[in-house]
Amino acid sequence: MSPSSLPLLQGTVDVLILKSLACAPMHGYAISLWIRERTDDDLQVEDAALYQALHRVERKGWVESEWGLSENNRRIKVYSLADAGRQQLRREVIELRRYFDALFRVLDTA
Amino acid sequence: MSAERPHVDDEVDEELVFHLQMVARELVAQGWQPAEASAEARRRFGDLAYTANYCRAQDARRDQERRCMTFLTELSQDVRYAIRSLRRTPGFTAIVLFTLALGIGASTAIFSVVRAVLLEPLPFAESDRVVRLWAQKPVNDVQEGAVSEPDFLDWRASSRLAQSMGGFWYADGGSGVDFTGDGTPARLSAALVTDGFFETLRAPVLLGRTFNADDQLEGRNRVVVIGHALWRGRFAGDSSVIGRTARLNGESFTIVGVMPPAFTYPSDAALDVWIPLSYFGPGSIGRQRGSRFLQVVARLAPGATVAQLDGELRGVAAQLAEQHTANEGWTSVKVLPIRESIVGDVQRPLALLLGAVLLVLLITCANVAGMLLARTSMRERELAVRAALGAGRTRILRGLLTENLVLAAAGGALGILVGSFSVRALLLRGDIVLPRNADVGMDGSVLAFAVVLSLAAGLLFSIVPAWRATETSLGRALRAGGRGTIRASGRRLRNALVVCQIALAVVLIAAAGLTTKSFVRLLDVDLGFDTDKAEVVGLSTPSDTDDDEARLVYYERIIDAVSAVPGVTAVGVARDLPMQGTGEMVRPSSHATLSGEQRELHAHHVSAEYFTATGIPMRSGRSLTLRDRAGSSLVVVVNESLARRFFPGEDAVGQQLLFGETPVEVVGVVGDVRQRGPAELAEPLLYLHVHQSFRSRMSIVIRTAGDPTSLMPAMRNAIWTENPNQTLTFVSTLDDILGRSVARPRLLASLFALFGLLGLALGSTGIYGVLAYSVSQRRQEIGVRMALGAAPQRVLERILSQGMRLAAAGILIGGGRWP
Repeated sequence: MSPSSLPLLQGTVDVLILKSLACAPMHGYAISLWIRERTDDDLQVEDAALYQALHRVERKGWVESEWGLSENNRRIKVYSLADAGRQQLRREVIELRRYFDALFRVLDTA
Repeated sequence: MSAERPHVDDEVDEELVFHLQMVARELVAQGWQPAEASAEARRRFGDLAYTANYCRAQDARRDQERRCMTFLTELSQDVRYAIRSLRRTPGFTAIVLFTLALGIGASTAIFSVVRAVLLEPLPFAESDRVVRLWAQKPVNDVQEGAVSEPDFLDWRASSRLAQSMGGFWYADGGSGVDFTGDGTPARLSAALVTDGFFETLRAPVLLGRTFNADDQLEGRNRVVVIGHALWRGRFAGDSSVIGRTARLNGESFTIVGVMPPAFTYPSDAALDVWIPLSYFGPGSIGRQRGSRFLQVVARLAPGATVAQLDGELRGVAAQLAEQHTANEGWTSVKVLPIRESIVGDVQRPLALLLGAVLLVLLITCANVAGMLLARTSMRERELAVRAALGAGRTRILRGLLTENLVLAAAGGALGILVGSFSVRALLLRGDIVLPRNADVGMDGSVLAFAVVLSLAAGLLFSIVPAWRATETSLGRALRAGGRGTIRASGRRLRNALVVCQIALAVVLIAAAGLTTKSFVRLLDVDLGFDTDKAEVVGLSTPSDTDDDEARLVYYERIIDAVSAVPGVTAVGVARDLPMQGTGEMVRPSSHATLSGEQRELHAHHVSAEYFTATGIPMRSGRSLTLRDRAGSSLVVVVNESLARRFFPGEDAVGQQLLFGETPVEVVGVVGDVRQRGPAELAEPLLYLHVHQSFRSRMSIVIRTAGDPTSLMPAMRNAIWTENPNQTLTFVSTLDDILGRSVARPRLLASLFALFGLLGLALGSTGIYGVLAYSVSQRRQEIGVRMALGAAPQRVLERILSQGMRLAAAGILIGGGRWP
């Protein structure tokens, strides 16, 4: 973990997973790559937390999974976004935006 | 590739291992040594073991939740499917629901009565430790004799096995006090109780307190505990009533307590007041050993049994019988748990009714099972198609079961409605007073009973059709087309069910016939008096004077006032009317050839016109007249039973009976009367003129030319014109009193008749269902027969004889054990 990376806010991993799957179904490793690319390593998501979150949102019915084959014929678990997950993503984005807007309205005027 | 794949435990491991390998590969591409890359990948991952466990737990919970959801979804599918399929056959559904509603409704109604009367605990703490005590006199076959106050006190002092003991005097409609003051004067029902009465019953008090020993002391005994109904009715449920005074029999009593609604002991329905027994001084009720009037309750000491207390008190009674001449023969006691003493005489009828109702329920189940069986058979093709389309056998079975349970639940709900209506209808008939009437009603336990009943019924009538449905092979059902698979075993089963129904219905009808017959016999009995067009009014002359002369004048003034009402043809008075009281026990000292028991007679105190007014015929001699008065020689009129027993083969008129040293002349003989009611034979009675032996209780019989009820207001006014403070204990007609005395047999007979009809109707629909089904199955065959020249009559005969055979078998089986 590089010293410049930010500690992650609780529940943010869930949103990141939903957002990544909104683009395309992918397996766990691919999701971790996707997050790293998009955040330039500013948000360091620990792999353990990622997989815990994956199984948690799957239980909640926001994502679905099935087993497929990789390009070199390895069995891989591929996650995709469920309808409930799509709605959840929309809700969470709105909430997070309101949250940070409010926060920065205070911080910026200070 | 396979060489580097590590051992995979499960999907979570497989997923995580893949991830670690991909990260390691990435690191190798960045220049790491393969071995170090693997270690680094693990390090960067974080807590691997915890994550694996966490993920497994999440997956397991997800599976569980999903299974649960699937079950619920399937269940709601099943229920919806069931409702849809039931609505497709509204006729069938309606009949089944109707049948279930009746069966379950009747059972629920009867159960709620049985529960309240027989099963609910009494409103006393640890009521199973409370017993009733009686004195017994074996030589005269007196089983449940009352106890004199001195005996009671001796019992209580000598008994170690009775923790406490209390006595009371109460007569339904007899013991009462006049309540004056606020509003119209009223006659209150009263129980006179000794100290220890409330202590023994341990009845919780609603307000204030019950009596203690000091309340019995002369000068401090003008205290009263009032019942809930009186408190609500006369004192508006005011909780400041404690300490206030109430005018009873013209005296001031201090109200010390209010009892809760459930506590009415010793009355069945409601009791107005409890008063210390000592209020009735020795002048009113004798306190000698011979004056047996107390009823006794006791609470068993810890560890003591009924049998032990019985043994102990027998010893005490035997000792008292030796010590006191008045106790001669009173050598024994009877001890009975208080519940048995309260519900004893209705226990058997109620158990019978419960049995009848269970029969109805069985018929209902057999009926519904038969209908469902036929329906399932007709749906075999539909079920086969569903199976062919991939529904599992258990799924289909579950569907059928759901359908039946939906039916049962709906039927049960309707049944509860029917049941609560019937209970209300039963209770609205004021003439039926069961012990603990007030407790009867629908409540949680009754509802639970109904729910369990309907579910059990649902399962019961599911078993057979469901079992049959799964036995059917798919191929055969499809081949058989819409006709279902006609199998001998299925037909036999349905036939057996119908035979069962008919047999049970026959049993019910036989029972109904027997109860109705004994009831009709009761009504046909010659009572010995005329109940038609006779009004009755009960009252007690005021107790403000001890002068019998003055009270007799008042007595005659009341009679004159009532006689003057237009439309009245005759007025007679007795202390106890038939079916309301048995008079007073006397025993002549003459006729020593008869045993003591045979000499025991009931004496009735009547006015001169009593026989005319009640229609009791004079057989010989003369009636009592106003000339038979205090100063003149004592005379009596006797009934035929007495004349036959005491003066066989002779004319009783002019004969003498000795009471102690006093000779009494028989001046007339009248016809026999069933004094105790239509179910009891006439006993030897003698009638004394009230002018020679005064009794303050007046039960006035008023013979009218027209409808007696229309004269009631005029009658009351006539009495109140004489004395505005005169309270009336009852106003009724002889017909009503007779009706009340046979109310229970009538209720039993009509309920049995109802259940018999119900069983018969259900049995008939059962036969109809089976025949209709078999005809519909054989429509093709019948068509072919008729096309080939069979006469329609022959076909009809075959079908009818099939139904008749079933009915005959049922009747034979059901009637087998009945005379």
